[in-house]
Amino acid sequence: MSPSAGGGSDPDDFDPHDLEPGDFRDEVYSFEFWFQAVDGYLAERPYGHRVGISEPALDPVRREALITTLCNYCVGETAALEGASGMVEFAPNRHAKIFLATQVADEARHLEVFLRRLIDLGVEDPEAEIASRANPSLLRFKERLLEFVAGRDWDAAVFAQNVVLETMENTAFRAHETTADPITAEILDGVIKDERRHLGFGENDLGARLMRDPGVRTRLTEIRAELDPLVLGTFEAAMGDLGAEADRRTALGRDYLTAIERLGLA
Amino acid sequence: MSDFLNAYSIQRWLELCPQGYLEDTVFGHGAAEHEPDPLIEDETLREEAIRSTVQLVVGERAALAASSGLVNAAPDYPSKRFLATQTLDEARHVEIFTQRLYDLGVKKDDLESTIDHFANPNLVKFAEVLLEKVDNKDFVAGVVGQNIVLEGMAFTVFEMMEAGNRQANPKFAHTLSGTIADERRHVGFGENRIGSLIRQYPEKKPEIEQMQKDMAYHMLNTFSSSFRQGSAAMDAAREMAPAGDGDGTEWQGVNMAEAGPEELQGALEKTVINEFKTRLARIGLEYQAPVMS
Repeated sequence: MSPSAGGGSDPDDFDPHDLEPGDFRDEVYSFEFWFQAVDGYLAERPYGHRVGISEPALDPVRREALITTLCNYCVGETAALEGASGMVEFAPNRHAKIFLATQVADEARHLEVFLRRLIDLGVEDPEAEIASRANPSLLRFKERLLEFVAGRDWDAAVFAQNVVLETMENTAFRAHETTADPITAEILDGVIKDERRHLGFGENDLGARLMRDPGVRTRLTEIRAELDPLVLGTFEAAMGDLGAEADRRTALGRDYLTAIERLGLA
Repeated sequence: MSDFLNAYSIQRWLELCPQGYLEDTVFGHGAAEHEPDPLIEDETLREEAIRSTVQLVVGERAALAASSGLVNAAPDYPSKRFLATQTLDEARHVEIFTQRLYDLGVKKDDLESTIDHFANPNLVKFAEVLLEKVDNKDFVAGVVGQNIVLEGMAFTVFEMMEAGNRQANPKFAHTLSGTIADERRHVGFGENRIGSLIRQYPEKKPEIEQMQKDMAYHMLNTFSSSFRQGSAAMDAAREMAPAGDGDGTEWQGVNMAEAGPEELQGALEKTVINEFKTRLARIGLEYQAPVMS
C-alpha cells in the first residue's frame, strides 16, 4: 500500500501536489493514500496512544473539566460521523465518495478513542454523560449540519462539515493539546492529523467553485454568518470548562476566524 | 450486546485489515501481480472480464451507499462505528474493482459509460430494493438487506470467482481473497446485531421477508443472464488454457475447469440460497423463495 503504487516513483520524493488535478484526485482521494497516511501515526497506538504511558493523577476539578470537554468532543465527532456518512450518497463523483468513506472511518475512530478515554477516566455510562454535558451551541451546530446533509446540499454540507466543523475542531484540539495530560495529548495529536486531511478536502473542493461562481461565495458567506456564533459560543463554553483565561478564549476565536477567512469568505 | 460489538470496533478493524491481511498489498493484490496476457489479448475473454468486473463495481457501489446511509439510522454508537468500518471496506472494494477495469484496458474517461453499458439491469433492480429501505432510514430492514442478503450473495459469488481464478489469474484471486475476508465480517455483524432487533420488533418480519423475496428474485435473474452472457468466454478460456491448467480446483463439488455454465449456475444458486436460509434462520426469519417467471 504505497501512494506511489500507481506512479512508480520513489515514495520519499512523492508530492501529490505535483500531480495533474485528475491524477491528484485518483491518488489522494483513495483508500490506498488514506492507509499510507494513517499507518504512520496509528501503528502501535491502540485507541490513539502508546500502551506504556501511565495514567496521570488528575485532581477532581481538572478531571471533571476533562470529562465535559471529552463529552463535547464526542458530540462534535458524532456530528462529523453522521455528516460524512450522509454525504457519501450524494457526493458528486467516485473520488469524493471514496474520500468521504475514509473520513467516515476517521470520525468513527475519533469517537471511539474519546469514548475510550472517558471510560479510562472512570465514566461508567459515557452516552448518558454526553447527553447531560453536551453544549447547546454545539448541538445546534450539529442539527444545522445534518439539515444540510438531509437536504443533499453539497456546497453547504462540505462547507459546514469539512471547513467550519473541521476548523473548529482543529483549533480547539490544538489549543487543548498544549495543556492536556500526556495520554489525552497523544490522542489529540493523531486526531489533529486526520482533521488536516479533511480540511484539505473541503478547501480543495470548494476553492475551485468559489473562484468560478460568485453565487457560491455569497451563499457560503451567509451560512458562515449563521454558523460562526454557534462555533464561538462552543469555544466560549469549552474554554470556561477548562478554566482558561479571557485572553486565551479570545485567541481561540481569532484563530478560528483567521482559518476560515483563508477561503476568502469575509 | 455491547460485548459482542466490541469485536467490531475501529481498533479491531485497524488491526485486522489495514495492519493485517491487507498489509503489503496494492489494490488488494501483490505489487508484482498482473492480469494474465491471454486475458488481455483475447477480446472475448477481456470483454467478459470487464462485464463481470462491472457487476462487482455495481454491487459494491450499492453496498457503499447502503452502509454509509445506515450510519445515521443506527440506534447505538457501536453499530455506527461498525458501519463506519464497513463504509470504508466497501469504498475499498469499489476502488480495487474499478482499478481492475483500468487494468483490463478501460480508459478513465470511459469508466461510467462502460459501467452503464455492461451493468446487469437485474442487479440494478436488486440494489434499488435495498436502497429504498436505506433512504427510509429503516435500520433493521437495511441491515438485513445489506449484511445478510447482499453480503451473503457477494460472499458466495466472490468465493466461486476466487476458486475459478486461483490458478489462472492469481492477481484477481488475491484481490478477491481480501474482499471475502471483509464480507465474512460484515455478514457476522448482520447476524449478531439484527437478531436481537428482530426479536424486539417482530412486527417488522413480513416487510423484511418481502424485501428478501424481491431481492432474491432479482439476484436469481442476475445469475441466469450473467451465465448466459458468459458462456462464450468460458468456452474460449478452456480452449486457450494449457493442458492440466485448472485441474483439481473444485468449488462446492464442481470442477471449475470442466463445469458448464448451467452446472456452475446451479451450484451458485444452491449455495447462495442455502447461505440465506442458514443466516436468516439465525436471526429468526424464514427464507422466502421468489416465484420465477
